[in-house]
Amino acid sequence: MDKFEKLQVQLQGYLSEFKISGEISRVTPLRSIADLVDTASQRGAKTLVACGNDETFNLMLAALKGRDFTLGFIPLDENSYLSTILGINNLFMGVKTVAARRIERMDLARIAGNYFISYLEFGIMSQNLKSLNWWNSFKILSGAPQKFDIRIDDSYTLSIEALGGLVANTRSTSCNAETIANPTDSLLDLLILEKLSRTEILRYKSDIAGGCLEKAPKTTVIKCKKVQFLEPRGFNLTMLGRVIAKFPATVEIIPQRLKMIVGKSRTF
Amino acid sequence: MDKMLDEALNAQAETVVGPSVKIQGDLNSEGNIRVEGQVTGKINTSQSVFVNKDAHIIADVLAGNAVVGGEIKGNLKISGHLILQGSAKVSGDISCSVLRVEDGAQFTGKCSMGGMVAGNGNGKKPAHTEEELVEEE
Repeated sequence: MDKFEKLQVQLQGYLSEFKISGEISRVTPLRSIADLVDTASQRGAKTLVACGNDETFNLMLAALKGRDFTLGFIPLDENSYLSTILGINNLFMGVKTVAARRIERMDLARIAGNYFISYLEFGIMSQNLKSLNWWNSFKILSGAPQKFDIRIDDSYTLSIEALGGLVANTRSTSCNAETIANPTDSLLDLLILEKLSRTEILRYKSDIAGGCLEKAPKTTVIKCKKVQFLEPRGFNLTMLGRVIAKFPATVEIIPQRLKMIVGKSRTF
Repeated sequence: MDKMLDEALNAQAETVVGPSVKIQGDLNSEGNIRVEGQVTGKINTSQSVFVNKDAHIIADVLAGNAVVGGEIKGNLKISGHLILQGSAKVSGDISCSVLRVEDGAQFTGKCSMGGMVAGNGNGKKPAHTEEELVEEE
């Protein structure tokens, strides 16, 4: 029995233990997540629960197409980023949380037809700094800055020479900055990292790798509802390492759009 | 300095404009704004604005409180406290409730406080000297 099958058996055991009923559908090469969401919508389902990794949940979000569902997430991946945000540490907690049905309204962010609840990265932040060794991450952080033109809320244009940054709806980190990346404040947070000195790189490297850019000096922090990335054209915007869009691109927040089943230890 | 201003000054800025940033347009915020770069246009918040030493602002500033250490070309309309630090260079009219000007600050323009108007930028003798407008703690 492979790992996935073991998890499935475990999941079904927990579902019966917590008396959770409903239809279970598996993704197959012929049935995509979008097809499953369409079918659920046609059958009048009110709640959708994604079981899998962060990508599974993100694909489900993208397939909603404005339809009104209450969403849940049961992580099958130990390294799930979303599970930390939502306060669901493991498979058991995921099922327990769905059974408890603590529902919170959350903001939903949109970019080029894609929806997300977490964050997008650009520049050096797109490179997984956490997984790099000390020397490679130091080398990347010592790189030359790039000129970015970004328009905020159709109100002002920001030109900056920076290494990179992120636009966040929410994040899982232990940055202890409650005002940044709160998915219930109806705002996006744009964090842009400027070039740092060698000493600053050494001091703030782990904060930067963890996404806590505001802890590094000279970081620009903007709260807004709409971010238009204008220049440089063709520059990648990524989510968890996957390219989502290229500049020019617009990210918008849809306040309180999502009804989400969350755990007690959620980060917001 | 009163307790409210102390709290405002110690609060974390919601919007931070970094040193290499150039902003063109209207910067509106609901929270505190810290400017370390350049802003051309308008700055508007009901909370506090902090203008760092190396910041350059060519804009009108509307805010609850303001601490200015950099250069501003534009009018400042502050409903509460305005502090001009020693490194501040302000060229424009000021309106505020409480004003503190530290040694070395440069100010060219008219100043109105609770109905009083003082001017030093129009060649006429000012109604009040800067020292008279300084409110000590």
